[in-house]
Amino acid sequence: MTNLPTTLNPATAPSQGEALAIAQTRVTEDWLAVWIGLFVFALSLALLFGIDLLGWAVTTSVWTVPSKALAPASKHFANLPAPLSLVATYFFLLAVLLVGAKALRADLKRFAAGFTAIFIVSYACWFLGSWAYIAATPDKRPALKIAWSLNLTNESGFIIALLAGLVVGNFLPRVARALKEAVRPELYIKTAIVILGGFLGIAALEQRQLATSVIFRGICAIIEAYLIYWPIVYFISRRYFGFSREWAAPLASGISICGVSAAIATGSAIRARPIVPIMVSSLVVIFSVIELMVLPFAAQHFLYGQPMVAGAWMGLAVKTDGAAVASGAITDALIRAKALAATGVVYQAGWIMGVSATVKVFIDVFIGVWAFILAWIWSAKIERLPGEKVRVVEIWQRFPKFILGYVATFLIVLAIGIVVPGLIPKVKASMAQANLFRSIFFLMTFFAIGVLSNFRKLWQEGIAKLAAVYVLCLFGYIIWVGLLISWLFFHGVLPPTLRG
Amino acid sequence: MTEPRIAEELEKMESDYEPLLPVERKLICYTFGTGVVLLAIFVLISRWFV
Repeated sequence: MTNLPTTLNPATAPSQGEALAIAQTRVTEDWLAVWIGLFVFALSLALLFGIDLLGWAVTTSVWTVPSKALAPASKHFANLPAPLSLVATYFFLLAVLLVGAKALRADLKRFAAGFTAIFIVSYACWFLGSWAYIAATPDKRPALKIAWSLNLTNESGFIIALLAGLVVGNFLPRVARALKEAVRPELYIKTAIVILGGFLGIAALEQRQLATSVIFRGICAIIEAYLIYWPIVYFISRRYFGFSREWAAPLASGISICGVSAAIATGSAIRARPIVPIMVSSLVVIFSVIELMVLPFAAQHFLYGQPMVAGAWMGLAVKTDGAAVASGAITDALIRAKALAATGVVYQAGWIMGVSATVKVFIDVFIGVWAFILAWIWSAKIERLPGEKVRVVEIWQRFPKFILGYVATFLIVLAIGIVVPGLIPKVKASMAQANLFRSIFFLMTFFAIGVLSNFRKLWQEGIAKLAAVYVLCLFGYIIWVGLLISWLFFHGVLPPTLRG
Repeated sequence: MTEPRIAEELEKMESDYEPLLPVERKLICYTFGTGVVLLAIFVLISRWFV
């Protein structure tokens, strides 16, 4: 919904003028994700007319010999050397994002330089994460002629990218400063989510009843998250930690709902000073990183028999869009690998991440409504000011616009598949191409989240008491209630299987 | 313009404690109560009808 606070890491902190520009372009970045996502989606759909516009994009396979790792996505471009395919992918993304950066009034030279570095490091992490000894699942080991592997799938590249980002954010402040113009995890993840809509549309086409069930359960789960999480966190902050209303409300929204977006929306709803949601958001991002590194592995260990519960849990427990959907992606890969190794069941890819994304998207949809409700309560009951009214249009103003892109790609794919079922294989091939870009946007999100997370600086700011509320509520309440709610709604719902 | 440090903000909050208002208690109780009731209803619907 809104930009991640770049004040999180002092190395990436904007100047006052830059902060003003960010504030003025806040909505634009949300819309920008829609247009970039739809652009990639539209190009991929050209396959329906026999035109392969994205077949040159690079794809990375699990490898034992580095030279065999990269290849163009489509057989139409089989003669294109793999390094050229990678370079073409880079230039395509650079061109598209430069147009976006211009719309955001960013410094184009600095953006190009920052993006280049982010792309190179992120893709290097993806490449490393695809090394067979790290990524290969047990069923792939004989073909790759290896005796063992960590069984982490190539999504381990996401974790490596996050770690690389953390190193830059915490130990290389000058590098972080040099990259800051292109460190935009919210833009990257929202673009990825728009593209993801089409990919999930394919899944829904193939399993319509299951998809309907997931959407319904997702809506139920998030309503519960708002109503059960928020009041308890607010109460604990006010009653036991003595926080003022100005701090407790954004803190409760930040911990309970969708992190950064909710904290900022709540902050503006109750007319809190800007410093309040920004500091809460900083905390949200830091803890999202911790959740991202812990919860998918916990889910793999304990919930591989209930994959959809695990997916919903990521959506409900991990804050910020980027970290939640990213956790869903890692959980998807880890659980499928574990289920295969432990039981021989091969789950269809994408469903677990799809549940995480569905839950997260619905949470985002309701942020505007929740902010409106809080704004009304604050202005009418708590801090009543004469003549002040809350306008319904504020719900739309606070609505995260990238969701429109997600819904559009989802519905377009669904509509094509329903109206012309014969086109489904071609739509599937189109979405597979678009999905390559989704993975790259994901990767850059992970790296950018890491760069933004400066643990040491935040501690120096004296944030211990805020962090104490966060730790208590998140690890003592939210995570477990989220697990319970996910279990109640998704227990026994399984993704389609390919084998087993 | 200097931004307030978090530590100072938190110290200020301790000295100027704002007690929970009745309307806040109502907000907490009604929200949580509605959540629990809806939870039961939605779980039943999702088990029986979806």
